[in-house]
Parts: sequence; structure tokens; C-alpha cells
Amino acid sequence: MVPIQIENLFFTYPSRETPTLKSINAEIASGDFLLLTGPTGCGKTTLLRTINGLIPHASSGKLAGSVRLNGKIISTQALTTTCQQVSLLFQNPEDQLFCTHVEDEIAFGLENIGLPTDKIKQQITLALDQVGLPGFESRRISELSGGEKQRIALAALCAMQPQVLLLDEPTSHLDPRATRDILNIVKQLNADIGITIILATHQVKQVAELCNRVWLMDKGQICLDLPISEAFQDTSAFHRLGVQVPEQNNFPIITSTKHATKTPNSDSLLTVRDLKYQYPNSNNLAVNGITCDITRGEIISIMGANGSGKTTLLHLIAGLLKPTSGEVTMDGKPVKRLRLHQLAGKIGIVFQNPDLLLQAKTVKDEIAFGPKNLKMKSQSLIDRVDKTVAQFNLADIVKDTPYSLSRGQRQRVAVASTFSLHPDLFLLDEPTTGQDQQHLHQMMDQLCNQILQENKTLIFATHNIELTRKYANRVLILDQGEAIFDGTPDAAFANKQLLNQASLAF
Amino acid sequence: MKYLKLETRTKIFTMMICGCLVILLDSPSSLLACFVLSLLLVTSSFPSLRQIRLLLIFLFLTTWGLVYSQGIFYNAYPRTVLITLVPAEFPLLGEWTNGIRIYREGIFHGIIQSLRFNTTLVIGCYIVWTTQPRDLLLALGRLHVPGALAFMVTSALHFIPVIAGEAAVVIRSQRLRGFRFLQINLISAVKGVISSFRPILAGNIRHATHLGESVESRGFSPENANQRTSLQSSQMRSWDYVLLAMLVVCLISVISLKLIYFCYTNGIYYGSWLRGLYTFTREIL
Repeated sequence: MVPIQIENLFFTYPSRETPTLKSINAEIASGDFLLLTGPTGCGKTTLLRTINGLIPHASSGKLAGSVRLNGKIISTQALTTTCQQVSLLFQNPEDQLFCTHVEDEIAFGLENIGLPTDKIKQQITLALDQVGLPGFESRRISELSGGEKQRIALAALCAMQPQVLLLDEPTSHLDPRATRDILNIVKQLNADIGITIILATHQVKQVAELCNRVWLMDKGQICLDLPISEAFQDTSAFHRLGVQVPEQNNFPIITSTKHATKTPNSDSLLTVRDLKYQYPNSNNLAVNGITCDITRGEIISIMGANGSGKTTLLHLIAGLLKPTSGEVTMDGKPVKRLRLHQLAGKIGIVFQNPDLLLQAKTVKDEIAFGPKNLKMKSQSLIDRVDKTVAQFNLADIVKDTPYSLSRGQRQRVAVASTFSLHPDLFLLDEPTTGQDQQHLHQMMDQLCNQILQENKTLIFATHNIELTRKYANRVLILDQGEAIFDGTPDAAFANKQLLNQASLAF
Repeated sequence: MKYLKLETRTKIFTMMICGCLVILLDSPSSLLACFVLSLLLVTSSFPSLRQIRLLLIFLFLTTWGLVYSQGIFYNAYPRTVLITLVPAEFPLLGEWTNGIRIYREGIFHGIIQSLRFNTTLVIGCYIVWTTQPRDLLLALGRLHVPGALAFMVTSALHFIPVIAGEAAVVIRSQRLRGFRFLQINLISAVKGVISSFRPILAGNIRHATHLGESVESRGFSPENANQRTSLQSSQMRSWDYVLLAMLVVCLISVISLKLIYFCYTNGIYYGSWLRGLYTFTREIL
């Protein structure tokens, strides 16, 4: 029997004129493992939300057509019924975990459907076994790593024993090892229990070998629906939409040559000496004795697993955290002795969540915010804003509100508004999160071009090997706060043992 | 660490009863007693050094703000001038405000008000630090608080650390883009503060939406609260009943004494046999 039938599905969000989902007709057979991919904003998340009933039950908008599960229309049955058949795993574990302890988190859904306590306990044990975390019942969620949190979120869904499991970018926040763990669990659930899987992701390469069917979406429609054996025979549609394909030789990194990097000169910019940092209430050092010298014109990638200290190191360099010991000096001056506003124009940082940077009413105001604070005179300010808008191709959206833009555009605006200060050192934290290949490479191309043209320095934190290979001329690999490698990307990625140690091998 | 663990409903009732008590009481000594008892309550949960530091900052800011504002803006009589900040004859500001002074009675009134606020603040911190969001949701459900409201309260509690973290990032990123929160141009400073709320608010809405969707897609609904089972049994224990009984007796006594005193002062009823109570109410309550 076909468990999911989608018939002539349209959905329009209240604030939009054009539908986000358009005329979708498709079927998913029981036990399928479906890869759902497409560029950012193509409607993947909206489609998943219609399949598990969040649309229309928890979201307003205009829905037409139907999604049937085992013959029953999902939009007409209560969410409490649908949740026992279809479960949805969200992108960010932090946003979906509700309780403070593992046992309570997994029990939450089971309590909601009124299961007796002895049955709940059995289900918790079983679900933790399924996600490879037996004995974690009494652990505090705040003490878990990002990968473990996502596995707990998955366990909470497995405990409900759904027929269909929907996963929305479940690994975009995770390092390669945690990604592999999650995908292996999902594969096992599909193979051993026969759960139907629909996994939406940009990480096609990792998922393609697990799935048996591929849907490619574009502008709210499924433009390709093929079994895995045929899906990548003609990759033109994937390339046109900037979506990753599994074949190594076709991946953009190879076709678009390594980004033009300049040999860094010996003009020293930043010195990091025996840097250590320990968070309050933590027993371990997040950054442990890092030493390095950074010169102008370098593009450096900081790599490592989740929790290896990448973000902490960036924050220490930016002066956002004061080191426990050691020192960061920029042009010979200790960063910790400077106030943050004194570092404006010297150091710029774009956080993993670019939305935290966006505070102005229009894109133009956002870009002008930094230069205005530095008391730039009116004509120079106008010139600077216009130049930045042109450098980052933002002319079409310059009057738009930053929050009305797509995720890729918001990140580009955040990067442009930080770059408008012309910082000597630009820090970029995990630019890949939630971005498709096309938008990511477009943004990185623009940024790296400007960095090289103006002899600035870029340090970006990532666990994406392709990104490092394409853009960086130096890589610093961290493991548990310590730098275990500092050299060229080619040397790093030739060393399998090193990649394993840093949890970077998929 | 083991500590006297109160049931969540007891904590909520304690907060409500103490809130009523500090409104009814007027005497500094009784308000101080309430405040000290609330401190004992929070101490019984063995707060971490970070929590103690945070609580002290909250208490300082509340006390300082109330004492300072009441000291200046106190408008009842009699009032005694302690310090004159701006004389009445000072050009413009002095003439416009008829002088700015700090009054002794205002400071006294500020201290009383801060004891009221601080008592509820301390109990609020105790609840936040010792209650799981899930337990709070269950307790509010058992108290027949509407499900949607209970979820809002609970998710607010859940997101306090997230909001605090994001607010810090927003402020730091603005400073790193050259913005000074403390600057001479007040309009610019206020604009900056207001605009920094935008990403924090947007972030909160996003987190709350995702969490709401997550719990709804796991079957949570205010409508099915009665069908819900619970893995952790959350029962009131003897000390919960003892504490609540003491607080209820205390509240009823204070209300009764205040009513008796009100009748006496407004000429409604006077009984010479109640003179001891009149004195007690006037001096202690």
C-alpha cells in the first residue's frame, strides 16, 4: 500500500502572494528512503510541514489539494493522531528539546498520547538503544554535545514509533562524524524497522548512498522524481540549481578552480600566544594553549568537530571573550586591552546565526550602520555604502527589510554590513549552516575577492572540507581545544589519521 | 546536592501568597522578615556562585532604582530635604522643575517598596532555578491554567538562558561595529538600544515558533491535558502541606488584622478588648 499520496498540493503563506508549494503530485511507498533536495527557499521545509500536519494545524495560510497517509487526509485529522504516524525532526536540536533531562524529553511525546508509565519506560530504553545512547536516561541535556542532542531529539521521535520519519536538515549543525552517526541511525531505522524516511538536505553527497529515491525541488515544485539509480545520470538540473551532486568529479570545487589565493606576505597582523580559555562552570579548557602567527592576505580555515573550540577561538580573537591566560595581539597591541568599539574597523565578525547582526530597517541602513558609528562624513559614507552594495551584488534589495530576505541573502547582508567597516581581519563563523551550495559559494567568492583585493585577512570556522579546500590557503585543525595541525589544506586532507582524530572524516 | 525539594504547585502558591503578603504589609520590620525568609528559601536550594552573583545584581539594581527614584519624586507630605541636586533658582532646569531634591521620606518609602519587589524577585529566582519547564507546565495544568497560557509561561522560562546569550551576542556585535551604548548623544544611544531589541525579538519569535511546532508535532495540546499521563509522579509531600498551611494561616491572619484595624481607624467598630491587636497591627504589620 502507498502510505503517502500528495495530490495537487498548493500552499501560500499569509504574507505572500505567490504559493510556496505549487501543484505537487507525488507518492511515497512504504519503506522508501527519500532524499529531498533543492536550493534554499524552494519549499522543502513547507512540504515536510504539510506532510506531518503542522500545516494547516499550527500554521495559517491557504492550503489546497491533499496529503493522504494510509488513505486518510492529514489536514482533516488531529495533530495528536498524526504525530503517532508521522514524526518531524527539526534542523536545530536546541529549538526542539523542551525538557532538561533525557528521560523526560523522550517521555514527553509518549505522555501526551497517554501511554501508561511502564510502557513509557520501555519505549525510552528502546529509543535510546536505537540512537546508540543506552544508559543516557538521567543525563542533563545541557551537558550533551550537539550530535548527542540531535540523537536525543531523534530518540524522542523514535519512541513514538512512527510509520514515517521526516528530517529537515538534521545534520546542518553537526560535524562530519556526528553527521555520519545520525545518518547511520536513520538508515538502520529504515532498513530494520521499515520506517519510511523523507530527509531534506543540501548534503546530497552524504545521503545519496543511503536513499532509494530523490526529489529535486525548485520554486515550490518537484522538478525531478527519480529512483537513486537514475537520479544522477543527468546532473544538469542539479548544477543549474546549484545543488550538490554525489559524483566527486562534478562537484563545483573541482569545476570552479581553487579560488585565486595570493601568497601571503610577511606583514604580520595577528599573534596568538599560548591562548587558553575556560568557560565559567566548566571543568575543561575550551581553548587550550593555541599559538599561531597570522599575516595579511591569508585566508585561514579553522576546522574541528562540534565543541572543539572553533567559535571560542574566533570570539577570543575578536575580543568578545577575555582569555583565561595567553594573549592575542593585533599589530602589536593586546586585543584584550582594547574596548570592543575601539576594534571596529580592525576586526569584523559574522556569527553562525547572521540574524543576530541585523538590526536596521533597510539593507542600506544596515550597511551604513558601522561606518556611521565611526563618524564617517556624509559623502564618504554614501560612497562606502554604494561601493559595498556593488561589491556584494545587493543593489536589487537595498531598500528591503533585512528580515524579509531569504537566509542566503540575509547572510550576504550580514557579511556586507561587517565588511563595510573595511576591517583588517574578517572572522566568519560556520558560513555553511542552512545554506545551499550556490548561495554559499556565491557569498564566499564575493567575500574572498574583496579580502584579496584589499589585502585583508579572513579566518572562517567550518567543518566543511570542500569549503576549506576551495578558499583557504591555510588550515588550523582543533581537537578538544588544542591545535593539532597548522598548515596547508592539501597536507591536512591527505592525512586520514588526522581527519579521524578531528572527527572530520565522513 | 540534596535539598528540600518543594512541589511545583507549592512554589507557585508560595509566590502568590508572599506576593499578597508584601502588598498588605506596611511595616519595614515585617517586610524585612518576609525578605529574609525568601532569602532562606533560595539559600535552601544551594544556588551556585553565578546565581548568587546574578541575584545580588538584581537586588542591587532594584533597590538602587527604587530608592533613587522615590527619593527624588516623592510627593507626599511631610517631606524633609536631604540634598538639593538642582536649586529652584537654577536657570531653566531649576525654574522648570521647581528644584530637584532628594527627600528622606522618599528614600524610606523606596526602601519599603524595594523590600516588596525584592521578596517576590527572590522567590521568582528560586522558582526559575529549581523548576524544570516540564514540571511547571504540569503544575500549571493541574491548577487549571489554560494550556496555551501555561505553555507561554513555560517556554518563557525555557528561553531565559537562550535570550540572555543572544542579547549578549547582539550587544557585542553592535559594539564591534563601532556603536557605543554609553554616549553623549542620548537620542542616538536610545535608538541603538531600541534597534538592538529587533534581532533579539526576532530570535525569540523564531525559537518559540520552532519549540511550539516541536511540541505540537509530539502530540502536546491543551485540549488533551486530561488524557495525558506522567512518567514522573509529582505529589505534594508533608512539608509542602506544612509550608502552605503556615502561609495560608499567615495570610488569613494578616487580612483579618488589617480589616479589624481598618474598622477601628474608620470608626466602623471599636472594641476595647481588641486594643492589643490594634497596637500589634499598627506597630508590626
